[in-house]
Amino acid sequence: MRNTRIPFIHIAIALCCILLLPLRLRAEDAAEYIAIRKEGASRIAIVLDKTASDGARQAEWARSLDNTINKGLDFTGLFNLLPAPLNIRNAQGGALNLASIASVGGDIYAGGSVTKKAGKPVLEMHVYDTSGKSLLARAYTGDETQLRAIGLRFCADLVELLTGKRSVFGTKIVFVSNRTGHKEVYTCDFDGENVVQLTNSNSISLTPVISPDGNYIAWTDYTSGRPDLYIKNLATGAKVSVNKHGVCISPAWRPGTNTLVTTLSYQGDQDLYLIRADGTVERRLTKGGGIDVSPSFSPDGSKMAFVSTRQGGPQIFIQDMNSGQARRLTYSGTYNTQPSWSPSGDKILYSSMQKSGEINIFMINADGSRLLQLTSGAGNNEYPSWSPDGSMIVFSSTRDGKRKLYVMNVDGANQKPLLRMAGEQQQPSWSGSK
Amino acid sequence: MIILAGCSSKSAVSTDDTSGAGYGSGKGDGAGAGVSVEDMGQGGRAGSVVGDIFFDFDSSALSSEAQEQLSQNAAWLQKHPGSAVTIEGHCDERGTDEYNIALGERRADAARSYLVNLGVADGSLSTVSFGEERPFDPGHNEEAWAKNRRDHFVTK
Repeated sequence: MRNTRIPFIHIAIALCCILLLPLRLRAEDAAEYIAIRKEGASRIAIVLDKTASDGARQAEWARSLDNTINKGLDFTGLFNLLPAPLNIRNAQGGALNLASIASVGGDIYAGGSVTKKAGKPVLEMHVYDTSGKSLLARAYTGDETQLRAIGLRFCADLVELLTGKRSVFGTKIVFVSNRTGHKEVYTCDFDGENVVQLTNSNSISLTPVISPDGNYIAWTDYTSGRPDLYIKNLATGAKVSVNKHGVCISPAWRPGTNTLVTTLSYQGDQDLYLIRADGTVERRLTKGGGIDVSPSFSPDGSKMAFVSTRQGGPQIFIQDMNSGQARRLTYSGTYNTQPSWSPSGDKILYSSMQKSGEINIFMINADGSRLLQLTSGAGNNEYPSWSPDGSMIVFSSTRDGKRKLYVMNVDGANQKPLLRMAGEQQQPSWSGSK
Repeated sequence: MIILAGCSSKSAVSTDDTSGAGYGSGKGDGAGAGVSVEDMGQGGRAGSVVGDIFFDFDSSALSSEAQEQLSQNAAWLQKHPGSAVTIEGHCDERGTDEYNIALGERRADAARSYLVNLGVADGSLSTVSFGEERPFDPGHNEEAWAKNRRDHFVTK
């Protein structure tokens, strides 16, 4: 294991180091703004002005920030990004002509400037609506090496202002890649940037998941020659293994706790067990009836979706964690696996092998109603995982040949590759930031 | 450790590489000097010594062919009482990775139970599932998948 404890801690520190200096913070209640969004508009039409600067160094910073902010906002699929109209200012350095943004179809204006103070870049951003009302005025200061974090922090504030929700910025995706010739665990930022290799087992490492508090990572590894479960404390590097006889596979953390559920078979059948972060078994959750695998929790941790063959082929079931009562969720299709419960609690994603042999991603309400197919005609699409804010989905697809990671909006729109990386990538799990 | 790998359409490969990395990649060729090599012809065919057995998609049920092969395997094991066997359960690439690890274990367990019922000492048998991680044939078609849905017997 190398490079293991770096990413989460460092990102957390980087974000904490950016000082937020309210200039004249007049952000109105986000709910009020959301109410005036055009009815039926699928995307927010925003005029994103170039960041103003004075001086060569500052101009470099401005280009970098513009690049980060443009790509960041575009990645979310929430925005229709518009260049500023030519008459956005009446004269060089003159007052903003906010009425002009409507002429290019914009509802919102965002722009600002970057200056150098005590050697550090200071990004001052302003957001207005067409009436000239100030929605946000905020300064972001950090080290020169933190320009990406500065830009993304503004993106996060803008999304929260305009949607009233948290954003994907600052989140991480853990996944598996075989680019070294062995399957190892990696992380990257929400947008595929900053890939870091977490394991170096030279074995087979599979199905990584980060704990809700960001302190632990759990995954399955064949280092011993068998599929054992490992749980690693990302801050201390301490690692424990669950090496029960049989398989130890497909872990999922229970929200609000440092316990996880995983499939063990040391008592015969492949059943689900609740495991503490120290690797000890707290209790058995399912018993008999074939394979039980791939757990995923409701956001309050009270219910668990999982795959079971208790009624024949693999189907998704939901079990109440207190009563132990289980009900079947999926009835369409004969091979339904990999449930992923939405952060909002009302939806469950899963993958289904269809009659054609193609595997596609579906979304169903947690009560079993309103089945939607999100992918089709583009190779095998598997392993859906919600972004922590519930606005996006990461998944693996063979649409371009090898298994690679892709993201899409929750309605299936805006499907695009997450990252360019050698080898195959699979089993993504989207995790919150610390 | 000696792996006796019998599979259709490819000559049997013996290797001391228990990782299975040589499977289907040709890496086993020329490796493992000093390792005994025994050509077993068509794997899975009744009459092979400790030959592979094969499964239907998403199934761990033993076909009549698989049962015949297991009887042959049991006879060999009983003639060699000192030998220990690891039964590797494997799946084709279709379906969910972790589900296939569970399915591979059920395939290995099915063979183990069958062998024990035939009188093979339980203590001489162990099982491990590789799910879809170690395909014998890297192809993406039914011909390859049929070879990959298997129990593979590693003797030592």
